[in-house]
Amino acid sequence: MPSELLKGFRMLDLADEKGALAGKMFADMGAEVIKIEPPRGCASRTIPPFLEDLPGPDRGLYAIAYHAGKKSITANLESPDARQLVADLAATADFMVESFALGYLDSIGLGYEALAKRNPRLVHTSITPFGDSGPARSYKWADIITWAAGGMMYMMGEHGKPPIQMSLPQAGLHAGAEAAVSSLLAHHARERDGLGQHVIVNMQACIVWTLMNEQAMPILHGDHIKRTGVFTGSEDARRQMVYKCKDGHISTLIAGGAIGGASTKALVMWMKEKGFAADWMVEKDWASWVPGMFMKLTDRDRFEISDLEDRIGKFFLAMTKKEVYEGTLKRRILLAPVATVADIAADEQLSAREYFVEIDHDTLGRRLKMPGAFAKLSRTPVGPFARAPKVGEHNQEIYGGSLGLSGSKIAELRATGAI
Amino acid sequence: MSKFAVEGVKILDFAWVGVGPITTKYLADNGAEVIRVESSTRLDVLRIAPPWKDARPGINSSQFFASYNSSKKGITLDLSKPAARDLVKRLVPWADVVVESFTPKAMRNWGLDYEHLRELRPDLIMLSTCMQGQTGPNALYPGFGQLMAALSGFYYISGYDEDSPCPPYGAYSDFVAPRFSASALLAALDYRRRTGSGQYIDMSQYEASLHNLAPALIDYLATGRVLWPRGNASDRYAPHGAYRCADEDGHERWIAIAVRDDAEWRAMRSVLGIGGDDARFASMKQRHNAAAELDSLVNSFTRGFNAYDLTAKLQGAGVAAYPVQNCVDLHQDENLEAFGFWHWLDHKEMGTCVYEGLEHRMSRTPGTLRSAAPVLGQHNEEIFGGMLGLSAAEIEKLKKENVII
Repeated sequence: MPSELLKGFRMLDLADEKGALAGKMFADMGAEVIKIEPPRGCASRTIPPFLEDLPGPDRGLYAIAYHAGKKSITANLESPDARQLVADLAATADFMVESFALGYLDSIGLGYEALAKRNPRLVHTSITPFGDSGPARSYKWADIITWAAGGMMYMMGEHGKPPIQMSLPQAGLHAGAEAAVSSLLAHHARERDGLGQHVIVNMQACIVWTLMNEQAMPILHGDHIKRTGVFTGSEDARRQMVYKCKDGHISTLIAGGAIGGASTKALVMWMKEKGFAADWMVEKDWASWVPGMFMKLTDRDRFEISDLEDRIGKFFLAMTKKEVYEGTLKRRILLAPVATVADIAADEQLSAREYFVEIDHDTLGRRLKMPGAFAKLSRTPVGPFARAPKVGEHNQEIYGGSLGLSGSKIAELRATGAI
Repeated sequence: MSKFAVEGVKILDFAWVGVGPITTKYLADNGAEVIRVESSTRLDVLRIAPPWKDARPGINSSQFFASYNSSKKGITLDLSKPAARDLVKRLVPWADVVVESFTPKAMRNWGLDYEHLRELRPDLIMLSTCMQGQTGPNALYPGFGQLMAALSGFYYISGYDEDSPCPPYGAYSDFVAPRFSASALLAALDYRRRTGSGQYIDMSQYEASLHNLAPALIDYLATGRVLWPRGNASDRYAPHGAYRCADEDGHERWIAIAVRDDAEWRAMRSVLGIGGDDARFASMKQRHNAAAELDSLVNSFTRGFNAYDLTAKLQGAGVAAYPVQNCVDLHQDENLEAFGFWHWLDHKEMGTCVYEGLEHRMSRTPGTLRSAAPVLGQHNEEIFGGMLGLSAAEIEKLKKENVII
């Protein structure tokens, strides 16, 4: 039984890596999500890496993660027969999410205007790299392009080396989650007055939004952040965010005042126990320590920050990530390990909350552990979770069961390459 | 016809800092009435964080706070005082939704947890969002999104290699989790519409954010392989990365490029004027194998181009490219402009400032930043007087007693 949360709603999912997460979230919440893909499979199934590095349409880790819980049917959108089937399905759907090049669906008669004529209740969400009206609206896309266009790339990296992206591309994930939120907002409007609408998700804007409002700094402070490796802040008041330890790195927030005074004091006391703190640090009133706050620093501020960072660096060097994290949890210090997926998989908090779920992947002959509920709802839990579908696994169920096509009709569509 | 998607939804919002306020902002900008409950005895830390209007600090002039609290009203209460909690209890029956983002024990200690509040409003939806969830050994973990971004794996996969971490700017996970919490909240509201039942939502910023790392987690849990930081290296594209362009006004400029097949590589060579058909780079496999040489070859050619000119040329030839933009560039970006992304709001004390708009646009009931964020306690009279019916004298008394503060 699917989650009661969105049970009974149907979403057609024609999104590739620009928005597969939207359908995954809807499936987690109990909607029936029908992934419509080309007969040879959605391009997102070819995204490496593959499980055990063996390529295959069911082995891509991206597809395993973000098509989980969906149904799959095939439709060759170049075929008029297949277009008709998709139009018929759209007439039965509550939601549609897609990420085609602008104008493509219109050109084959499956654009919002055409679909809404038959199904005015439809909420149709289009994920676009740059919106639907600017000069880049038809630009070629890759995830790194949005990371650059949205401003995050500029701030990641070391001076003297190229700006970088994360080693697991993120822009399409933000856009997919934004598509989930905005589709649900449009759903609320529809449930009140019966009318759907067309929603445009702008992926570039989704990345700008991740910048923690840094966009306003040039205008309000005449300054903007440049990439400085493990440091953050403006040039005059930068803080070290990451420190080396025995088996990797940790991150801590060295601050005073209401934000970090108590934490910094606790850290200094811990350092004192081990002989790493300077006298001035022990005597300092950290609750009133707010050097600069992005403004000009005094020489004394500069000395304090640099001495603190220097000693903290030496202090952590002798401890493992785990030792540091355990020590700071006890002392309520603002700190986290720079966790690898191995650290996360072993985390006691996640296991206490039974976060990871084990899903049977009969398609692969094994079970796989995956991230579970993105939220815990008391009455309508998210899940249960299911594996990603094989290409066209639900053709019979949807084309036969839902659209009522006969077995011979389905066979004919298959023979002509429509599905 | 409704003007806004969730007009009529009422939210009593105790959340502070990032995830909670950004979650309720989704609804506020789309018509929900959101009352933020703040306190001057325990300020939302964003109120004391930059950027500030004219770079001048002040609790009512942080554009950081203002950005995440558009379209909301604000009242102030010192919740450590019983009289303040009594006022909260009088407001709860009005609310469809209560949101809070304290460390888990706070609302319990005040008797304002879901079990108590649902007695006042049986179909209440309550969303608690914190770092690591309401239960478990680390439930009381204090922190901010910067730390959560490290804990949930994003810092580690940001760098040139294992020894040179280059974390994403800011509190990255604060901008991952709200899209999950807003989805959960909107779905719970729909479930209540269908069934009449409210519920409690326990949201862990950690657990939501890890969905943006799911392929790597599945890989590790199945095979023990750890996703490592690898700069801009890609298994899908070559070239792939940021390449140096001509400096502008003494500032360095870079362009991001991703080439997905041999035809695009030929198109790129022609745009950049890379002559000959260098046998080392003819196929995708060769380009992957000689990625470092390839990058340095590409860099030697991009160096002569203006990043925006080169973008137009490469895209014209069918190659994915865009300048690596900084925050000054974003405000001049024609695509964000065409989308109507930037909003200028008139704030009671800050005057007019620029804000980010919504990241989506609805054709029929578009949301918008309906008003600037409240100054501290801006709506005390309206809410306590107008809504709860307290007299001016009663309000004055509560202010003197530091209940409304």
